[in-house]
Amino acid sequence: MRLYTILVFIALYSSALAQSAGERILFHPTMNEQAMELGQSYYSITLEDSIQFDALKFYISDVQLYYQDQLVLSLEKTHHLIDLENPESLTIELNPNKDSILTYNNIRFNLGVDSLTNSSGAFGGDLDPTNGMYWTWQSGYINFKLEGLSKACPARKNVFQFHLGGFLGDNNAIQKVRLETSKKEQNINFAIDKLLEKINIKEQYQIMSPSIEAVEISKLVADIFTIKS
Amino acid sequence: MHKQLIISLLILTTAFFANTSKLDLPKHFPKPIYNFESNPTSQEKIILGSALFYDPILSKDSTISCASCHSPYNAFAHTDHDLSHGINDQIGTRNAPALFNLAWQNSFMWDGAHKHLDMQALAPMTHPGEMAESIENIVKKLQNKKLYPPLFQQAFQDSIITGEHLLKALAQFQLSLISANSKYDQVIKGDTTFNEQEQKGYTLFQKHCNSCHSEPLFSRFDFANNGLPIDTSLNDYGRWTITKKTEDGLKFKIPTLRNLSYTFPYMHDGRFKKLNQVLSHYTNPKYQSKTLANELKSPLTISSNEKIDLIAFLLTLNDKEFVFNLKHQFPRDILIKN
Repeated sequence: MRLYTILVFIALYSSALAQSAGERILFHPTMNEQAMELGQSYYSITLEDSIQFDALKFYISDVQLYYQDQLVLSLEKTHHLIDLENPESLTIELNPNKDSILTYNNIRFNLGVDSLTNSSGAFGGDLDPTNGMYWTWQSGYINFKLEGLSKACPARKNVFQFHLGGFLGDNNAIQKVRLETSKKEQNINFAIDKLLEKINIKEQYQIMSPSIEAVEISKLVADIFTIKS
Repeated sequence: MHKQLIISLLILTTAFFANTSKLDLPKHFPKPIYNFESNPTSQEKIILGSALFYDPILSKDSTISCASCHSPYNAFAHTDHDLSHGINDQIGTRNAPALFNLAWQNSFMWDGAHKHLDMQALAPMTHPGEMAESIENIVKKLQNKKLYPPLFQQAFQDSIITGEHLLKALAQFQLSLISANSKYDQVIKGDTTFNEQEQKGYTLFQKHCNSCHSEPLFSRFDFANNGLPIDTSLNDYGRWTITKKTEDGLKFKIPTLRNLSYTFPYMHDGRFKKLNQVLSHYTNPKYQSKTLANELKSPLTISSNEKIDLIAFLLTLNDKEFVFNLKHQFPRDILIKN
């Protein structure tokens, strides 16, 4: 009987170890199915011209794991600043304390910062306003920032800038994302070329304040998160 | 063993309380809106905040401090300047508002651009016509100035300076600016009484002004169009610039009437130098527009004697003790020595 208990323990423990080994989210920003790099020149099929990216930063918040509609885990750390310039930030540990076995089949998170956090004063860490993701002329975090240049963009110096955010009323730009998964390690693709198919930067290349357009583009951004097969 | 534990617990608790001191909140004020739990008050934070408030290091060329446009002798407004000016003498578009009793306000700036006091300071710091600096660079400059790491250590138990701590310290100093000892306050507390003229003025005030400039803070702190014709050299549409909603056009935040003798000129663009001009604005027909406040659709009708009574009451809102309080002034000991 005692031996049996010990065996069960060992079995449970080792399966917990095996599970926790890959319990994390890895974001993979890509361009034309290659890992995206800042400052590198790419050819955009949509634009029929070259394009380069200088910044890609966004907030992922309230990560939750679900089994069907049953909540399995809410991450303690609520806000994660994903910044392509800082490779470490592309990983989110799902089970940092490795204290439970997680069985889940869908993962949910927000793209952006919720309205309560937006109006509750100064925060540190990923939410510190020195991260360049806070509008200073009015309240509010920038949920998503994409900057770069392309000759196809008619703006001054061919620069495009998408600073998407806003949390009041119709301008609330935060987006819910839900991804079905059967894997342990969550490799999440973020294909920028798919986004470029939907927003025409020949016409729309500069958003830097809360607006309905910012909300619309935020929806398009939320759509490009996919589980890597 | 138990005794030791109790003693060390006692020491810990006293150490904890020694470090947190509550602000003296006036009993005749409502509950503050500011959430002190997320930024508990301490003397160390207030001291650090005052150093930051008076230090021009916050501006790009170290010429302008917060106090340049928010002077203690003007109840932290900017006397003699209709519009405030920033680095290189650039003129802004609005009159610097007075800073006091900020814990009772739920939005900041004339258009309510900021929802939280902590974050408001980012606006003047980074505005190209005001301090024209970035918060990232301010944090770097402070980290490299000998004075600041120890002050941050004392205030936040961390000598590594962050944007969060910088903003929270500035907020703490501003929260400590409480003005609640005017003659009006003393009357409310039962320590003194109005004279006959002031009493008449108080009655008039309650009838004609209190719905927007509500006691005891003398503002309900939301937005209203008080019928000023637009200054076409500024084309400032106020709250609309933030919400982009037509119903917010030409609305500005209702300012408090406290300390009004110290905070002239008046209105969001400082167009009136004298209190008399302000009263005349309210007794004259207004600039008609869709967003004009209901209360002001018809001009205020009061006699010239009543005007004098009303002004007599308004002057009881001046809090001399607040304006000359040394605790709020330039922290010589810290900034000169270092």
